[in-house]
Amino acid sequence: MASFSTNEFKSGLKVLIDGDPCTIVENEFVKPGKGQAFNRVKIKNLKTGRVVEKTFKSGDSVEAADVIDLDMEYLYADGEFYHFMMTDGSFEQHAADAKAVGDASKWLKEQETYIITLFNGAPLAVTPPNHIELEVVETDPGLKGDTAQGGSKPATLSTGAVVNVPLFIEIGEVLRVDTRTGDYVSRATKK
Amino acid sequence: MMGRPTATKTILEARASLLSGLRSFFEARQSLEVDVPAIAKAPASDPWLDSFTVNDPAGLHVGYLLTSPETYLKRLLSEYQCAIHAIGKAYRANEEGSEHAIEFTMLEWYRPTSIRPFQAMVSEIQDLVETLTGYGRPEVIAYSDVFEATYGLNPHQATTDDLIRFSSDLLGSKAAASLDLDSQLNLLFATEIEPHLTNHIVIDFPAIQSALARIKRDGVDSVAKRAELYIAGREIANGYHELTDAIEQAARFDEDNRRRESLHRPVVPKDDALLDALTSGLPESYGVALGVDRLLQVMTQSQTLSECMTFTGHL
Repeated sequence: MASFSTNEFKSGLKVLIDGDPCTIVENEFVKPGKGQAFNRVKIKNLKTGRVVEKTFKSGDSVEAADVIDLDMEYLYADGEFYHFMMTDGSFEQHAADAKAVGDASKWLKEQETYIITLFNGAPLAVTPPNHIELEVVETDPGLKGDTAQGGSKPATLSTGAVVNVPLFIEIGEVLRVDTRTGDYVSRATKK
Repeated sequence: MMGRPTATKTILEARASLLSGLRSFFEARQSLEVDVPAIAKAPASDPWLDSFTVNDPAGLHVGYLLTSPETYLKRLLSEYQCAIHAIGKAYRANEEGSEHAIEFTMLEWYRPTSIRPFQAMVSEIQDLVETLTGYGRPEVIAYSDVFEATYGLNPHQATTDDLIRFSSDLLGSKAAASLDLDSQLNLLFATEIEPHLTNHIVIDFPAIQSALARIKRDGVDSVAKRAELYIAGREIANGYHELTDAIEQAARFDEDNRRRESLHRPVVPKDDALLDALTSGLPESYGVALGVDRLLQVMTQSQTLSECMTFTGHL
């Protein structure tokens, strides 16, 4: 099994801590003038999303985690699993459970490309694109003419996500939404 | 473009002004500036210092790059018995990070004095900070007071077993158990104490961290007469009431090598020239080493050390 020494630590490195895949968020080299060196590291557990601080003796090694990020297209859900397909032309499919998909479930749209994080070959997490275009399936009637000033209302999108939109938005319109914040960005340009 | 300077023009100006300020400070105090070689025959013996080895083009060993100018300055001190200081490059292998660089600028000074040398050293460090940095006069605190306030233990009497419960929280129990007393103390100090030292001189270190400082009895405890300056949570300078006893010095070299062996680190040759200087007579004195780049970093409130160095990364 591959491993990384503390002097190879850098942000983004994927390591195995207590059996869990983690990514290094921040690495700080700590050394008193006359003393032993340590690495103080902020680590994000990729399973739980929790960030913890951990200290290592400099020179110690940590096992590498077999974690890779791959682009995959969303196909369908069968009630238990969400199915994705590689975009590299291999047509290789992967099934992610609800835990792996997590909050991304409300942004899943067929034929859209997502980043699937695989741990030991199995989907661990699903990251939607930063911006996605979705159709409004439900919202209160729009106020004619009021296209400029403030005020907002909830709108349900085709994936089930609910976002706050300006009052002039109507059912059937396609909106551009920021998946990181869940905020409305703009009307999508008509195709 | 590769290889561009890492410091801005403003930082370079602050750096030049700091260097000239330091020189004026020591000139006003009748200290002689000396310029010493960068290569020495013997490396530092400190168990956790790694020296670069210097070879000639044929691969023959020449010596080691200095981790500090200590050996040369003490030899000068023994010969001329006067106050001296040097500002130059020091080299430490395997030290790289936002607060560390393998090549950095060090100010080191020695002053012979038989009148309360330790107190004289602490007040000279205070004077320097007050005069040059804009941080005001550093507060002096005892290592034992600050350690006890944080961990509820007397560090001079604490054993590895006492400390392991704290270090286990940081390292996990297995790695914590592999640390010796010195490393346990360093880890705990660096983690919970150092970040809170805004402008402080910590005095009287645990005897195991004496390096080349004298050890004195303080009540029931033995303490190392060491003083360290911390500004903005960073270690800036380190001073010793210097050991002058050649026999004790030789014993410390042996002890360092024993610790190196137990830590599976390379054993180093003894610095015979330094021992000779001590044998012929080192005056009662103190010595301080100060990281110039780090001082500039806290004075300019820079995020990283590399912003304060003219070039970094050896591009």
